[in-house]
Amino acid sequence: MSTTTMERPVARTAVDEPEPRLRFTGVLRSEWVKLRSVRSSAMTLLGAAVAMLSAGLVFASTRTSGGNGPGPRDLVDPTAISLAGVNIAQLIIGVLGVMIVSSEYSTGMIRSTLTGVPSRLPVLAAKVSVVIGTVFPAMLLTALTAFLGGQAIMGGADLPTAALGDPGVLKAVIGSAAALTGIAVIGVALGSILRSTAGALSTLFGLVFLAPGLGQLLLPTSWRDDVLKFLPSNAGGSFTSVVPPADGLGTTAGVLVFAAWVVVPLIAAAVLLRGRDA
Amino acid sequence: MIEVANLTKRYGAKTAVDGLTFTVRPGTVTGFLGPNGAGKSTTMRMLVGLDTPTSGTAKVNGKVYAEHRAPLREIGVLLEARAVHPGRSARDHLLAIGATHGITAQRVDEVLELVGLTEVARRRVGNFSLGMGQRLGIAVALLGDPHTVMLDEPVNGLDPDGIKWIRTLLKGLAAEGRTVFISSHLMSEMALTAEHLIVVGRGRLIADVSVADLIASATRGVHVLSPRSTDLVRLLNGDGVKISSVGGGVLDVVGLSTEDIALRALAAGIPIYELTPQRASLEEAYMELTEESVEYHGGTTTTSFGKAA
Repeated sequence: MSTTTMERPVARTAVDEPEPRLRFTGVLRSEWVKLRSVRSSAMTLLGAAVAMLSAGLVFASTRTSGGNGPGPRDLVDPTAISLAGVNIAQLIIGVLGVMIVSSEYSTGMIRSTLTGVPSRLPVLAAKVSVVIGTVFPAMLLTALTAFLGGQAIMGGADLPTAALGDPGVLKAVIGSAAALTGIAVIGVALGSILRSTAGALSTLFGLVFLAPGLGQLLLPTSWRDDVLKFLPSNAGGSFTSVVPPADGLGTTAGVLVFAAWVVVPLIAAAVLLRGRDA
Repeated sequence: MIEVANLTKRYGAKTAVDGLTFTVRPGTVTGFLGPNGAGKSTTMRMLVGLDTPTSGTAKVNGKVYAEHRAPLREIGVLLEARAVHPGRSARDHLLAIGATHGITAQRVDEVLELVGLTEVARRRVGNFSLGMGQRLGIAVALLGDPHTVMLDEPVNGLDPDGIKWIRTLLKGLAAEGRTVFISSHLMSEMALTAEHLIVVGRGRLIADVSVADLIASATRGVHVLSPRSTDLVRLLNGDGVKISSVGGGVLDVVGLSTEDIALRALAAGIPIYELTPQRASLEEAYMELTEESVEYHGGTTTTSFGKAA
């Protein structure tokens, strides 16, 4: 630590600079600085990309060896095989969304944040924007690479392949990136509502991963499928695959239901953020 | 300028701040003093909008904090509780907070220099000592070049050098015409820094006085040593006079000057060996003020002589 000179002026020395003022663009930049300045952000983003790529490429390779190895339910759809990593990537990208908010509460950073932006809502809006702006391009690039890499592997073994121009393929690739982005935003909302990393993560994983399986086990068969297709992961399935599952929602309905899973928790988060003591 | 009017904060059945009213003016260092749990931190949190008042108002420079266009330009705060992500560097922490107001990297480096953290600016805050963390908190408070500076227990964790530095800094800020409001539970610290005091206990205002007035108003007696102390008590007792024994034949007489006591003892022929006026320390004055508002007292050893004695 350097010794401090007592005569140093406290006031800003650069008088030609514009007078400081709170603006949404500033809040956006602030959230970007926060995201890029902690190691966990890059780690989770990279982790999600690696998981998605390796799952897609491994499943494609398994097909070439003619084995009945691990793979998605629909083993005849070459697009689904190469994008199979979405499920694992969801888990990791969800952590990113949750941590962006919950780490502020666990460290106390939220007090600094809300003191700087006492109107509060711009903070949530900026966090969501930064998550979308980071996760969507990164996951789109990953999904594209996984798709093209998977098709190349299967094509090399003379297996049926899909091209980006085939009907529904581009939708599935972009849809996968969108679904991952949506999960991250649900994570932001849950982190903000529950203000705890553990609580928000278990809620998110319960909703995305456990609920479909538990529902299969516990709900009566007569109306089980009518309920389960509305869960976020199943609704997402309608636009992350080339052809929506027969017993699920159509693409448009799936997009709307999935969007509701994102928007409703966000509204709850906004209401609570405004009303609660920080 | 800080204006608090009828400010009340309840958490369930517990009242943390109870109808508090006071004003903190620019140009001087004002101390916010009270025992732990008196409601100081809660009041400060309400001033910057972290907590919503149950009733009453808390205004900074004439407005409720959230209504300002550039909140960080109005008031810079250091709260007692930690408010930093340990994985971020000091510089990134300041950049992130400053970015909301368009505060430049140049200003960030300026405040880092000011608080003496330039050399560790790129180190993760999690590795900082308590004192370095405190300096970073002060850097955050000064970042917006604010008109009002409010620090909760600023000397916590600082070494003697750091304490001296912050006293000089705070007096300098006040001399520049800024409003400086600092809390402490230690009177001794306030005595060296503050010129005015807001004293609270159990969420209520106990005193709003200048440090000089507080010392002057503290009721302190004269210590008298006499071989005939019982006769002396009988002689001096009267309206507005309080006499107690402090042991070893020494009496503490409140309400009479040294001259009064000497002349009356001389007239009665009672010898006096020692006559010492007691000057109250600020610490004692403060203890006297907050006596009723602290929850637990230690026992006192002085024996009081009633009027009947």
